[in-house]
Amino acid sequence: MEHHLMWHWPVIGYLFLAGLGAGAIAVSGIVVLWDPAGEFRHRAELVARLGAFIGPLPVIIGTALLIFELGRPYRALNLLTSNFWFMLFNPSPMNWGSWFILLFFIFATVYALTFLPWKALLRGERGERLAARSERWRSPMAVICVPLAIAMAIYTAILLAAVPARPLWHTPVLWLLFTVSAISTGLSAIILVQRFMFRKPGAVRGAVRREDPAFRVTEYYLVSMKVILIIAELVVIGLFIMFAHMTINSSKFAVQTLLPGGEMATAFWVGVILVGLLLPAFIEGFYLLRTAVLGHEFEWPYVINVSAPIAILFGGVMLRYVIVVGGQITGPIGI
Amino acid sequence: MSEGSDSPVSRRKFLKKISQGAAAVATGGVAGGAMHAAAIQSSADTGKQGKVQYGMLIDLRRCIGCQACTVACKAEADVPMGVTRSWVEYAEKGLYPNVGRSFLPRLCNQCSEPHCVRVCPTGATYKRPQDGIVVVDQGVCIGCLYCAQACPYDMRYLNPVTRFADKCDLCIHRVAKGLVPSCVNTCQGRARIFGDVNDPTSEIHKLIARNPVSVIRETYGTQPNVYYIGLDTTDENTKKPGQYVRVTTNKAKSKKRT
Ligand code: SF4
Ligand code: SF4
Repeated sequence: MEHHLMWHWPVIGYLFLAGLGAGAIAVSGIVVLWDPAGEFRHRAELVARLGAFIGPLPVIIGTALLIFELGRPYRALNLLTSNFWFMLFNPSPMNWGSWFILLFFIFATVYALTFLPWKALLRGERGERLAARSERWRSPMAVICVPLAIAMAIYTAILLAAVPARPLWHTPVLWLLFTVSAISTGLSAIILVQRFMFRKPGAVRGAVRREDPAFRVTEYYLVSMKVILIIAELVVIGLFIMFAHMTINSSKFAVQTLLPGGEMATAFWVGVILVGLLLPAFIEGFYLLRTAVLGHEFEWPYVINVSAPIAILFGGVMLRYVIVVGGQITGPIGI
Repeated sequence: MSEGSDSPVSRRKFLKKISQGAAAVATGGVAGGAMHAAAIQSSADTGKQGKVQYGMLIDLRRCIGCQACTVACKAEADVPMGVTRSWVEYAEKGLYPNVGRSFLPRLCNQCSEPHCVRVCPTGATYKRPQDGIVVVDQGVCIGCLYCAQACPYDMRYLNPVTRFADKCDLCIHRVAKGLVPSCVNTCQGRARIFGDVNDPTSEIHKLIARNPVSVIRETYGTQPNVYYIGLDTTDENTKKPGQYVRVTTNKAKSKKRT
């Protein structure tokens, strides 16, 4: 029998893309703020730059998806305008979320602009001036963008968790799950783009080998961060299932859709856990450990190198899919 | 707060209330005025009592499962194909030869704490202060269906023609003219009683007071205003050991939410 779904792929895509954009900006901002004048930033400048450029894009695409999913797309502005004072005090997460998106998009765009190579784009004095201004504005913008990005990531979960009638969503663990996944997908997107960019001539065939040792050090840091995030996500998924089981009643019934034998079990165990988490954890963990324990240089074949972040991004989509659909095909038990 | 410290404030409040009451008596003119003033006072205190709150009482002992209300609703509200505002669920329970079939008419509960209203991001759906009916403002709704996710009773749908959220509005156009909702009007067994649940003189108020009534999914705290006599909430997921239960809902082609 088919199911009666009110929210489908556009919402799933939106939750994923908003998380991805927020994660990318959060990583970028944290890198900038880590050490504003020091060594690390110089090395990781590329990461910060890529994160800043990636950030606003998925958010605006996701928002567009959501708007076209609406029964009445041309009325989307009602989210912001229908009654200003009501809105200000309206507890609806979707309403707060639309303000978050607006603010996030504005600030993230300004933040991304501070990374443009102004001197190359505009010759003469104007380029100089803009470059100097960008330098000055970057850190303050990062200070604004990091909390906004984290708020965005949390909001994508609160949107679902605020609904008691959907027991799978109505759990205090969901925001943690979505936030960890947002940061890890954002980071993966950065790493992926970086790897595409550094498939340079001069590298040994079939392997990424950027001659600059700083590049490898940055990669090493990023990938370790990612593996830590994957482990964190696995723990949070464990918590998620455990919490539902401990809550019993409708929550226990709802989470059974994810467990073996449930309708979403394949998507969950294969898509989210196996491909999205365990596979990249093993691949990347192997090369990390090879460096950490055996002292080998941190380098790996290009295919593996690229497939790990792709697997994580896929897992991010599947996680949203499983939660959004699983929440709708389950519900309160009893009439 | 001790009594002494806030006494000036409470005295002022008290005087204000007295004057409000006096004004109400003065404008009311007739004897009902005093009662009206009392109603104002109590509504200020509890925020609920004394307000008009239309609701329904469904006596399941009288329901024969004829679906006349379902059809009447479809016709009255011009509900498009594939969606329903009000319907009757069939529940089959027991093992041969001790079997039974019971009927459960469903409609929006016009909740006193409607979760659908809480989540609406535009303010399109709201509870009307004058009669407690929860409505969707068709000029504002964006069709996001957040309300449909939030309703614990699955009472909302996306109207496939207009593309905004839709639901039972207790036949607001009829009620405004002093008529009863169409489903109540058509009910063959007179199982549905409509009225102001807060009005002590109304039939529904008296029946609620005198009968063991229950509401659906009370634990959600939505405070429904549709009451049932003889409600059995057992479904496939909450049946007792050895029991056979099968519930048929309005969703012929898709699974009921488990
Ligand atoms: S039954 Fe559902 S749609 Fe009706 S008022 Fe209650 S929460 Fe809202
Ligand atoms: S579908 Fe309409 S009434 Fe329902 S929450 Fe969205 S804007 Fe509000």
